[in-house]
Amino acid sequence: MKLELRDIRHVYAPSTPFEVEALRGVSLVVEPGEVLAIIGGTGSGKSTLVQHMNLLLVPTGGEVLVDGVDARSLKQSELRRRVGLVFQFPESALFAPTVEEDVAFAPRQLALSEAEVRERVLESLRALGAGELAARSPFALSGGEKRRAAIAGVLAMRPEVLVLDEPTAGLDPATRENLLALILGLREAGVSVVLVSHDLDEVAEVADKVCALHEGRVRTAGTPAEVFYGDPAQAPATVQVASLLRGSRPEIDNPVRFGETLDALRALQGI
Amino acid sequence: MTSRTLGQFYPVSSPVHALDPRAKLLATAVFVVGLFLIDSTVGLLFVAAVLAALVAVSRIPAGTFLRLLRPVMFIVALTVLFQILFAREGVTLFQWGFLEVNSGGLRLGFFLALRILLLVSSAGLLTATTAPVALADGIEDLLSPLKRVWFPAHEVAMMMTIALRFIPTLGEEAEKIKGAQSARGADFSRGGPLRRARSLVPVLVPLTVGAFRRADELADAMESRGYRGGEGRTRYRELRFRKKDALALAVTLLVLLVGILL
Repeated sequence: MKLELRDIRHVYAPSTPFEVEALRGVSLVVEPGEVLAIIGGTGSGKSTLVQHMNLLLVPTGGEVLVDGVDARSLKQSELRRRVGLVFQFPESALFAPTVEEDVAFAPRQLALSEAEVRERVLESLRALGAGELAARSPFALSGGEKRRAAIAGVLAMRPEVLVLDEPTAGLDPATRENLLALILGLREAGVSVVLVSHDLDEVAEVADKVCALHEGRVRTAGTPAEVFYGDPAQAPATVQVASLLRGSRPEIDNPVRFGETLDALRALQGI
Repeated sequence: MTSRTLGQFYPVSSPVHALDPRAKLLATAVFVVGLFLIDSTVGLLFVAAVLAALVAVSRIPAGTFLRLLRPVMFIVALTVLFQILFAREGVTLFQWGFLEVNSGGLRLGFFLALRILLLVSSAGLLTATTAPVALADGIEDLLSPLKRVWFPAHEVAMMMTIALRFIPTLGEEAEKIKGAQSARGADFSRGGPLRRARSLVPVLVPLTVGAFRRADELADAMESRGYRGGEGRTRYRELRFRKKDALALAVTLLVLLVGILL
């Protein structure tokens, strides 16, 4: 499905001293089967933005379109199923006695047969490489295992768009790889993924498009190469030095390496 | 954070906000006791006018302050209703079966409603104009004479501070968990009371687990920063009881005295 956000605005606690304008008109499109990464500093509105994607937060202004249809006209449960939202630190919402029960929570709300529920639970746990956790208590797992169980709990709805809010924050490298493989696997299967992340390496690795937020507005959007290298003034110092010396800007698959910068400087100084 | 209820601090600067928390605590205590000594409607109305003036001075918008009173409106309405229906005093104005409305009942209902509203308003003004930490400091200080009889005044105040400090945190956490479960198809407004209560289990379990984890972490964090209780502990914010605080307390007493005599 195609998910479109048009000029979304959001004000928290309007007309009180705590009023905060978190989003000031954000528009973006998630095409079917693409991975869209949302980057930006803390407080730039990333988490607020993604909660509009399944209308968990109702925008103060603007609209959300699902395949061109106003999302408010859809049944709420239908929208929540089609746009699966995984919160930041989703493991803090685990509650059932076993992982299997917990992952089964969402599919059970969909009025499926027990056999179907079980199948989906095992399928989504396996997709996260967590099949062996099914019978364990979610409270006795390691951090990475908890995270995978919690994400499986959303995946079990078989969403058409999976929204992940900083899914790799605080994870060990193995689980991180696991998650990135899941994202690429979902894209392969035609599921769109929205990935909120602070890790630009990870974004460069999996994203088809990047949207950079700054103070509640879209600062830049485009392919990773366009966003990372589009504005020379925004590039890191070593990249600026290297592009100056070699006369061309770095691109994806043609990055600037530290050694290259060093060599260029050496050549300049005639060492 | 989206809804404001009774007892929330309203951070603006005003003469009322600037008073010493101890003065405000004592004044509120005196006020509450005084309210029960006033037995004329005129007296209550006079005190209400003074309180309204105080709210104006405190720079809390009237609408916001009145919203603080909303949670008690049910109790007020119930009290008035009972008084009107069951007090058998004065002239009968209206009768229907065994129910009768008397002038005395109306008067008493109005009087009690006013008293409850004033009670809640005074407490509301205290918490709206005093930061929770200042409030706890004030309470600790007022309770400190009891330390002589081994009453743990500092610990009680610290517990209060922590509890107050974590109300919004737990509220935010609850919102987050509710959001996460809603994203998984939970519906908290569907079905009868039993079903709705059951639907809260996926929120309450992680919230409780989280609260205990947080408590553990906070205890560790406090100990690793050298916290070891109240003995010899100094304060970042020293409380100072100034002339204006004494004056505020004296004015409160005077107003109540006038109210009682009216």
